[in-house]
Amino acid sequence: MSATGSPTGAVYDLGYRPYEGERGGRGASRAALVRVSIRRALGLRRSWRQKVLPWSLLAIATIPAVVNVGVKYVTRNTPLSNFELITFRDYVGVSTTLLLFVAIVGPDIVCPDRRHQVLPLIFARPLTGTDYVLAKVGALAAIVFGFSFLPQVVLFVGQMLVVPEGALEFVRHNAAVLWQVPAAVALFSLFWAALAVAISATTPRRVVAGVALLATVLVSGAVASAIVTAGGADPERLFESGSLWGLLSVIDLPLRMSDLVFLGHVDPASLVGGAEGAGIGVVLVYVAVVAGSFGYLIYRYRGEG
Amino acid sequence: MVDDLLLRTEGLSLRYPSGTLALDGLTVEVPRGSVGLVGANGAGKTTLLRLALGQLRPTAGTIEIVGRAVADDPIGVRAHIGFMPEHDCLPLDQTAADLVATLGELAGLPSRAARQRASEVLDLVGLDESRFRPIGGYSTGMRQRVKLAQAIVADPEVVLLDEPTAGLDPIGREEMLGLVGRLAGFGISTLVATHLLDDVQRVCDHVVMIDGGTLRHAGATEALVHRTGAVRVEVDEGATRLAQLLGAAGVDVAVIDDATLDVRIDGDDGRVLDLVRDGTDDLGLALHAMTTRRTSLDELFLEETR
Repeated sequence: MSATGSPTGAVYDLGYRPYEGERGGRGASRAALVRVSIRRALGLRRSWRQKVLPWSLLAIATIPAVVNVGVKYVTRNTPLSNFELITFRDYVGVSTTLLLFVAIVGPDIVCPDRRHQVLPLIFARPLTGTDYVLAKVGALAAIVFGFSFLPQVVLFVGQMLVVPEGALEFVRHNAAVLWQVPAAVALFSLFWAALAVAISATTPRRVVAGVALLATVLVSGAVASAIVTAGGADPERLFESGSLWGLLSVIDLPLRMSDLVFLGHVDPASLVGGAEGAGIGVVLVYVAVVAGSFGYLIYRYRGEG
Repeated sequence: MVDDLLLRTEGLSLRYPSGTLALDGLTVEVPRGSVGLVGANGAGKTTLLRLALGQLRPTAGTIEIVGRAVADDPIGVRAHIGFMPEHDCLPLDQTAADLVATLGELAGLPSRAARQRASEVLDLVGLDESRFRPIGGYSTGMRQRVKLAQAIVADPEVVLLDEPTAGLDPIGREEMLGLVGRLAGFGISTLVATHLLDDVQRVCDHVVMIDGGTLRHAGATEALVHRTGAVRVEVDEGATRLAQLLGAAGVDVAVIDDATLDVRIDGDDGRVLDLVRDGTDDLGLALHAMTTRRTSLDELFLEETR
């Protein structure tokens, strides 16, 4: 109360206030869907339980790079005779540990929308089925890219600091990886994101989708390996004795694309190593899987928006 | 062009790929405000809402919502519309605050503004205390409120509500109708699709009645209720004799019990009321009451769809 006895404050029932602030158009809605999907995948604004898995996997994907350059740094004055730095191409393969992440997070950003019938709420906003597909694949691809690219940055910067020839010389010798790494990681991320979201769209149950993705990867790899071996290839040394049947191995496709980016040809020590037209075959099957995944997703969500 | 109409359709038809004709040449205009879309299950109400949202393309005809032709921009028109579906549509592992803010962002609001608006509208629907709890722990009434909150979070010009009181107990229904009734005062028009005519009579100032995909009636609720009015006449025992007398004079009469009868007054109430007065006098009956009986929307609906 003031000296005059009149009230100095009051409580108002604001009721409903019209919104008069900034509004984005369809582009803002699309960007919001990507943002929301990334937040969900990383467990942001969710309980700590939802944060454990993505951040643990990021750590797991990064640890080999840190250990590798750490060992090199510690032993810089007394180099170990049998120690070699991991190559950038090999590290794309290390990122395959993120397959587990994709198998868990892919279904998590897609299946609940269908299971809880949230799609009518989403498509009451200015969004189409194609927007939804691009946002979900884009969100997952962006996370996988980030989680695959960050260890590569650690590896590059770490090696730059520990190699005996010096940082500038290292950068000069490895200038090509400055485009090869982002390109290979982008191809890797797009492949797994498109496939994971497509498989997740087939079912409203997260567990089923995750198991289906892992089964697709493991079974196709085993089948391809069995067929190539049955064809006479030495399983211990597939050096120039692979066959195009190796293209059936889903897990190998992004790695062979990585070979093409880094080496200009597929790794001879692979299921398709040495096969006639292996490079073209890898590109065609890769494109078919990614395009097929998008095609199925757009068909699946065509009537929603 | 934006005008004062909430909904305008012209020869609107929709046939599903299965062959079902959900809407058949619907032509109607209703002004902004609270509009009830009434019809039995399968009448075409939800189809009309989905056409208004641009989620379905009409087989023939046109539809405009809040003055905007849906065909011109079927996706963009949704920026002006809020939608509350009938069925369960809430993710049970999310909090109401997170869900409503997320859907606000998807409607085009900046992230911070969406969170602020979510907080405000959840307060408004009475979920201020529980908005940070997962929706899985909510009652049916609370979930309906979340659905309403997400529909108004982006401050739309119109909210389409599909059976907003479905599954609610009497208290929850009262509360939901109270909230829906308040929306007009906030400058938000409502189009309430329901088969519960009592709900429409409570909160809507206009009614659109459809059946089998065709229009049966459209107009102000009050006018519809009065249009087929009757007079309830209460006398001593002898209502049957009065009914016979009035019937002989060509008046449409329904005997309720020995002391009560309903007398139709369609279009000529002065003459009929004089006949009732004179008839009771001639028969020596004591006339206790003559009251205008407002026909309920239920009766009107049954009459129109019979």
